[in-house]
Amino acid sequence: MICFRCVECVNKSRHNSENFELFTLDDVDAAFDKIIQLKYNQSISLKGKGQGISVTPLAAGHMIGGTIWRIIKDGEEDIVYAVDFNHKKERHLNGCVLESVTRPSLLITDAYNAAYNQARRRQRDEQLMTNILQTLRNSGNVLIAVDTAGRVLELAHMLDQLWRNQDSGLMAYSLALLNNVSYNVVEFAKSQVEWMSDKIMRTFEGARNNPFQFKHLQLCHSLPELNRVPDPKVVLASSPDLECGFSRELFIQWCTNPRNSIILTNRTSPGTLGRQLIQNPNQCTVTILVKRRVRLEGAELEDYMRKEKEKELEAAKLKAEKGGDMEDSDSSEDSDIEMEVDIVGKAKHDLMMKTEGKSRGGGFFKQAKKSYPMFPVREEKIKWDDYGEIIRPEDFMILDINPTEDENKENREENDETLQDITEVPTKCVAVSQTLDINASVQFIDFEGRSDAESIKKIISMCKPRRLILVRGSPTAIDSLASYCQNSGLVQGKVFIPKLYEWVDATTESHIYQVKLKDSLVSSLNFARAKEAELAWVDGEIVMVEDEYLIDLEKEELKKEKEEVEEEETGSRELIPTLQPLPTSLVCGHPSMFINELKLSDFKQVLLRNGIQAEFSGGVLYCNSVVAIRKNEAGRINLEGCLCEDYYKVRDLLYEQYAII
Amino acid sequence: MATVSKRKADSQVPPEESDLLVIRPLGAGQEVGRSCVILEFKGKRIMMDCGIHPGLSGMDALPFVDLIEADEVDLLLVSHFHLDHCGALPWFLQKTTFKGRCFMTHATKAIYRWLLADYIKVSNIGTEQMLYSEADLEASMEKIETINFHEEKEVSGVRFWCYNAGHVLGAAMFMIEIAGVKVLYTGDFSRQEDRHLMAAEIPGVHPDVLIIESTYGTHIHEKREEREARFTGLVHDIVNRGGRCLIPVFALGRAQELLLILDEYWNNHPELHDIPIYYASSLAKKCMAVYQTYVNAMNERIRRQIAISNPFVFKHISNLKSIDHFEDVGPCVVMASPGMMQSGLSRELFESWCTDPKNGVIIAGYCVEGTLAKHILSEPEEITTMTGQKLQLKMSVDYISFSAHTDYQQTSEFIRAMKPPHLILVHGEQNEMGRLKSAIIREYEDDVETNIEVHNPRNTQSVELYFRGEKTAKVMGSLAVDPPQQGHRLSGVLVKRNFSYHLLAPSDLSKYTDMVRSTVSQRLSLHYTGTLQLLHFFLNQLSGDVEAIDIQGKKALKVFRKILVIQGVDMVTLEWNASPVNDMYADAVVTVILKADSAGISTKVIPPIMKLDKMHFTECLMEMLADMFGDEAVSKIVKGDRLFVTVDGKSVSINLRNQEVKCEEDEVLQQMVTTAVTKLYNSLTPVKV
Repeated sequence: MICFRCVECVNKSRHNSENFELFTLDDVDAAFDKIIQLKYNQSISLKGKGQGISVTPLAAGHMIGGTIWRIIKDGEEDIVYAVDFNHKKERHLNGCVLESVTRPSLLITDAYNAAYNQARRRQRDEQLMTNILQTLRNSGNVLIAVDTAGRVLELAHMLDQLWRNQDSGLMAYSLALLNNVSYNVVEFAKSQVEWMSDKIMRTFEGARNNPFQFKHLQLCHSLPELNRVPDPKVVLASSPDLECGFSRELFIQWCTNPRNSIILTNRTSPGTLGRQLIQNPNQCTVTILVKRRVRLEGAELEDYMRKEKEKELEAAKLKAEKGGDMEDSDSSEDSDIEMEVDIVGKAKHDLMMKTEGKSRGGGFFKQAKKSYPMFPVREEKIKWDDYGEIIRPEDFMILDINPTEDENKENREENDETLQDITEVPTKCVAVSQTLDINASVQFIDFEGRSDAESIKKIISMCKPRRLILVRGSPTAIDSLASYCQNSGLVQGKVFIPKLYEWVDATTESHIYQVKLKDSLVSSLNFARAKEAELAWVDGEIVMVEDEYLIDLEKEELKKEKEEVEEEETGSRELIPTLQPLPTSLVCGHPSMFINELKLSDFKQVLLRNGIQAEFSGGVLYCNSVVAIRKNEAGRINLEGCLCEDYYKVRDLLYEQYAII
Repeated sequence: MATVSKRKADSQVPPEESDLLVIRPLGAGQEVGRSCVILEFKGKRIMMDCGIHPGLSGMDALPFVDLIEADEVDLLLVSHFHLDHCGALPWFLQKTTFKGRCFMTHATKAIYRWLLADYIKVSNIGTEQMLYSEADLEASMEKIETINFHEEKEVSGVRFWCYNAGHVLGAAMFMIEIAGVKVLYTGDFSRQEDRHLMAAEIPGVHPDVLIIESTYGTHIHEKREEREARFTGLVHDIVNRGGRCLIPVFALGRAQELLLILDEYWNNHPELHDIPIYYASSLAKKCMAVYQTYVNAMNERIRRQIAISNPFVFKHISNLKSIDHFEDVGPCVVMASPGMMQSGLSRELFESWCTDPKNGVIIAGYCVEGTLAKHILSEPEEITTMTGQKLQLKMSVDYISFSAHTDYQQTSEFIRAMKPPHLILVHGEQNEMGRLKSAIIREYEDDVETNIEVHNPRNTQSVELYFRGEKTAKVMGSLAVDPPQQGHRLSGVLVKRNFSYHLLAPSDLSKYTDMVRSTVSQRLSLHYTGTLQLLHFFLNQLSGDVEAIDIQGKKALKVFRKILVIQGVDMVTLEWNASPVNDMYADAVVTVILKADSAGISTKVIPPIMKLDKMHFTECLMEMLADMFGDEAVSKIVKGDRLFVTVDGKSVSINLRNQEVKCEEDEVLQQMVTTAVTKLYNSLTPVKV
């Protein structure tokens, strides 16, 4: 859902300034119907060609709904796709769960941050806070460039909390969120609480107030609307790269004033204005292309009108040729008109929503029973005026109107008109190159919500992938991460660094088949515990048994493995490999194994619990001062002592730490 | 009564290996209320719901939890926020030894908190009888974990996930999988989509056991459209005739559905706009935020609408704080709790309005025997007020059930989709349950392909089912390079984790699991004052292959090829790599050393170390063979380590170096001679490992 809004917003903001024809809003809607929604940890098994593959999304942090994908083949080979994750807990999101994924056979991750270390969160928060406070006290405005629906939530939540704090002294200033769909974004965020952090969940369960029911953050959808928010103010505007959208417009307006401050929260892709400013913090001037959608005038307008007419005529002709009667073409014209009306309605609606949202702020029910400002007159309910627009009395029914809003009422209507004009009147896009002096302070404060280099390395070392594919990131970053992973032995297998359009052959020879275990075999086994698993040595012999009893699942899995089984009739007998115990005479012994990795510090606790004095001295653990345990570099444990009871006691305890098979 | 495919129960089998699955209702067995079902399988114990009986109070209202040990319950799953499903939860979490984990959906948890707080406030029983306090409830929130619909969780080998149940917001059906056996617990569910909730989902996987509610037994509900039309029509009539319309409802659950219906109806009927609708419940007001938030647990319609406006922000409905804020002037619609008009606001309003024939009351939910709501359905002439006064009942009384429980049609459809081999009925009054049971049995009477066993256990009565433990292991890595064939031998490590088995070669262990092989070496020092020669002699008696070697200038002996005995000053040190066999060898060596130390034999008397004399062996062999086959059979000459024996014209060649016997003509003879030679050799040579 969020993605939808995001795309929509990008589309709209592009539309405001240039021609954007890659896809339309309808395409977005159509694409949306094809998306299957999944919950975290919900596995979905693919059908048809992808038989045997199951896909599971895991929480990734970074953004609401951020996902690490886990793709499992036949329940064994697992591929993990994890880019843009954040292991740290944030205000509105939990950290990613990548650490819990152990030993994937292939990990695909990015090296975007592999050469980048961020400051501690606290420090960044403080930096933001001081910047805001200083600018506001200087009666300057703060522009924070953020994305439309993802990271903006973290910042919006954080700032609103700051504003709520009595001691912060921010109450006097205004805080606004400006993008084309800010109302929707916040409404969506409200209904997505179950995807957010435990802390947010708890406050919601405990206090019932939705953390995204903002008290101070004002939602704006256009610049005129923003202008009504009194200065000085802090504005969260999209997009983060200052390439399009309100953030660019505000930047152009504000950057010349030294009192203002511009905060970039995201290192956007190279080449964008945002990135340029981050890389050259001391840049004084900037030449940018100012794109604008303007009305067609004079000759151009006439030309456009003529073309439109021709088009219409052509369309009508086509209809007529197709054998459609007059009625048909009539109806098509009708629908055209309706379409137009629709657009108008939408633009209008966008604005009205804002006021509705505001009036709703306080309570969820209608607030006062006698709150009808007008006597209900039925004729007024459905009214078509000359312009074909519907005026619904509810839209004008404002309950608790702020005095400021009242004053602005006239203003707004004017604005409405201008807005409508833009959509109705044919427009074109113009671009003017403009050189701006940057007098405002420009600062980059990292609110990307991605794990940094140090954490990425740590996370990879925790999940120990067998093979690794690195994508996205500067060549140096990728190389450094790749060599780190290989040299430190984190990744036993290969590390792939594919270039664009390059195929990587990451096939593994994975041999796998299923055998049934005979009860006699299982009951003869001696299991030893290790971590959460149990281990046993098996000596067995395969016999092929005909068996008709098969639970469906098994059948399916077997089908996959035995491709030579051509036809599956239900109830047909299949040969099942079954493992039965070898007769004892045929069993040849096996070298016994100690399984587990002992930490001496843990073992010390075990010893103490069992009443044995244990002390570290120079890396050697001395027990009751007669037995010494040391660990060498190779991880080998050495037990040393003289013949005494304690020696055997310690040895028994030591053996308990292992699964010995 | 309820055992299927009985198998000889083996008392030796530990619980995690047993094939017995036990389902035992501790509440809601042949009754409605205090839902609590225990599931036991493979040593895991799971409790589903923990409710109280609304008709009883104090400890009596609890399910029969004293029959189980609370600390043995691994997992507690709560289906939805109704009191008869979660009412005893704070007590169970806080006042018992329960230490497992507890799960419910987000919406359930959010509402649970406020619903039970309200319950604590309104239940007017003495404090000593109270099961738990507000503080207990608050503390219990910490212990409850949340689960999203379809999200899979695993707790100590039990895998579970939940589906939408369509009963109330956040209501869930739990699918539980233990060792491949799946059990579906429906809780309360409804397959009928309504205004805000989706119909209960039909799970994509088939459970082996289905535990299903049977509240409405074999009843069949009125169609939704008809029901809604009847409801809105009635309300419209009452307000049109200038009357006041009272709808007593339970604060949460169905009330929200009615609010949506009324709000939409008012929206479509502008002529009604000046007739106010009041909703009088502080609890509902508190929980409205929850409804406005968890739209993701609702149906497609609501989710689509949320993109435009939140349907739970009502346009025509006002909240009424209390009766003092209510101006009773002319027609209005009031929804008030409690639903059965036992006391409270709905009762007060009813008493003040019941004498006017213009007014009307609509009972919208399930009523329990003995409540005023049930009483007025029998259309009495007069009623008794709370103060004991008699009042004439003139207002219209109607009953429209908006209860979101499954009816027979839905249940039957659901069972047909699931086709579970075992069906267990809970949450239904005895007779209804019995009727449902026989109806289902009748339905599948002539169906030879489906065999459904229906059980309707009473409280505390267990249903015992057996599931044959099919254990399959996945063979992976280098062990699985060759495809399975008859007689193919496999040796490797079997890794068992949460009922799944993997067979791996030891070298692949670190590749496929997070387990690491390690080595432990030991050094044991003990007092020894004798010489190494003496030790050598004694050890040679233990093992024939003692080697004398030098380690960094120190004299040492290697025994059993594994144990190193190094001599020091007045002591020896044993070094070896730990393993059960080596430890045993080491123990033997230690014993020998101690013995040698105490024997005190001087070096001079040490007998020479026995060695195999080849000549001696040849002589003995010849003698033995002569005894076996006669003097003539044995050739007296040894040619290049080979000795020949001729028996009945068949020649047998014996290799003296490796004791190999060959006779191409007669295998029996060869075998015989081989045995004799090997035995002789073994008896003459010192012990070896």
